[in-house]
Amino acid sequence: MKDFFSKLIIFIILLPLIPLMLWPFIASWRWPQLIPLFGEARGFKHFFSAGSNSVNILLFSVFLSIVVTIITLAIALPAAKAIAFYSFRGKNMIKTIILLPVIVPMVAVSMGIHVSFIYLGLANNCIGVILIHLIPGLPYAVRILLNSFLLIGDDIATQGKNLGANSLQVLWHITLPLIMPGVIAASTMVYIISFSQYFITFLIGGGRVVTFSMLMFPLIERGERVLASTYSVVFLASILLVVIVGDKAMKGFFSDSNFLV
Amino acid sequence: MYKKLKPYLMLLPVMVVMSVFILGLISAVLQSFGYIPIFGMTEITLRHYMNILESRSFFRALAFSIYISFASGGISVFIGTYVAYLIYRNKKETLWVRTLYKIPIAVPHAIAVLLVFIMLTQSGVLSRILYNLGVIDNLMEFPELIFDRGGVGIIIAYTWKGIPFIIMITLGILKKIDLRLVDTALNLGASKKEAWWQVEFPMILPTIFTGFILLFAFSFGAFEVPFLIGPSAPRALPVVAYIQYTSIDLSLRPQAMVINVIISMISLILVYVYILAFRSIKKYFG
Repeated sequence: MKDFFSKLIIFIILLPLIPLMLWPFIASWRWPQLIPLFGEARGFKHFFSAGSNSVNILLFSVFLSIVVTIITLAIALPAAKAIAFYSFRGKNMIKTIILLPVIVPMVAVSMGIHVSFIYLGLANNCIGVILIHLIPGLPYAVRILLNSFLLIGDDIATQGKNLGANSLQVLWHITLPLIMPGVIAASTMVYIISFSQYFITFLIGGGRVVTFSMLMFPLIERGERVLASTYSVVFLASILLVVIVGDKAMKGFFSDSNFLV
Repeated sequence: MYKKLKPYLMLLPVMVVMSVFILGLISAVLQSFGYIPIFGMTEITLRHYMNILESRSFFRALAFSIYISFASGGISVFIGTYVAYLIYRNKKETLWVRTLYKIPIAVPHAIAVLLVFIMLTQSGVLSRILYNLGVIDNLMEFPELIFDRGGVGIIIAYTWKGIPFIIMITLGILKKIDLRLVDTALNLGASKKEAWWQVEFPMILPTIFTGFILLFAFSFGAFEVPFLIGPSAPRALPVVAYIQYTSIDLSLRPQAMVINVIISMISLILVYVYILAFRSIKKYFG
């Protein structure tokens, strides 16, 4: 009975995804019919039509979030390592500051910084959008990588150094292969967070930088079910695809150098 | 010298990005006092705080936001912990249950709203099912759950994402519990129920609490969900801030910032209280 309950809850949670995936193909669905009338996939037609420019925006959006992910990981790695293996003054304060974006809403902060971004020429362009996108994913990236570093410890890297490897070799051949699971988890998280940002992209990008979220959001706002579902399905499918390909690519890239396995 | 500086150098890039965040906060505070030099507003005043604190609609919005965050966080924690407990107890639990439940965590809030929309509008899937079961006779008998003053749609959207999140973090910590502790309790004559409440539950309590705080803080400061399926009165605080911010009347901007500062302050106070509570929980349970 109790096993049934946990399955029931999870089933109820997952259930709405089924009509979401059906809606793009529905021609009409009169109340109170349970089974809709399927027709041509109007939403997908719109998505692929040259006029909507949706495919290009999707590709641009994926590109933007990959850039955000790479930068976030590149800056989070040394930071996580410093927190894991060094003791220094102000460590607790820095840890707290890095955690802040999880607590203090981005809505408030992005409205606060908007004027300065306009003044500095960072508003209404990609650089400003990338910069603001770095913030929400950063706490998660540092946290996940920090746990990975703490798990593997510093010993193997030190051994490599003692055996004559330089810092870059240690990073490439020892540290990165060892913390690869953490890197993959962090990248996935950061990518999804960036790809899903609507408000800060809209505010800082000023409508000039158009991401896929910004195409999807007004469709949901209008309650246009066929189009909104189509774009949502594309949204989720693209996340799944990027995450799977990224995971494979990163594993493949470091499989040669991973001498420990 | 270099050795001492090294950790700071390693942290420098992250702190540069975080300085944008901090500057955003400071800037919001300055603007809330009416200091926006670019618009020629340089007089520092408490007027905007007065305006906001004197308006009844602000307190209605505040109450609405707290209610939504509290309800969605509470329901998520309650159901999420219970389901996590059931999955943890059932060692034979199938793999699909252990993996598929995570899907909503990766789904953005806007799509969660669409799901609520598809399922729970008066002509939605649930109302069709209820009609075919003979529970309702026409569309209007189905309660208005979207754009409703009770915020039911908003709470369900947040809960839909919150429950799996709580299941995930609770299962994560449950897996780490040393089973010998539980066995010891059972050997000493505790019933399974007593072992849960005396041994396992206190150990996962900080995690559940953290989960609640994270969910609360997120929904308290997020704009998308209440904007999409919230009622036009009362509005959630971030929606009010946004509407004032985007108004053509630039003199409303400081008021938007007052609301932003209040949202941020409440979130920060919450975390502070949490840290204090966490310490006393630790003290109590050793």
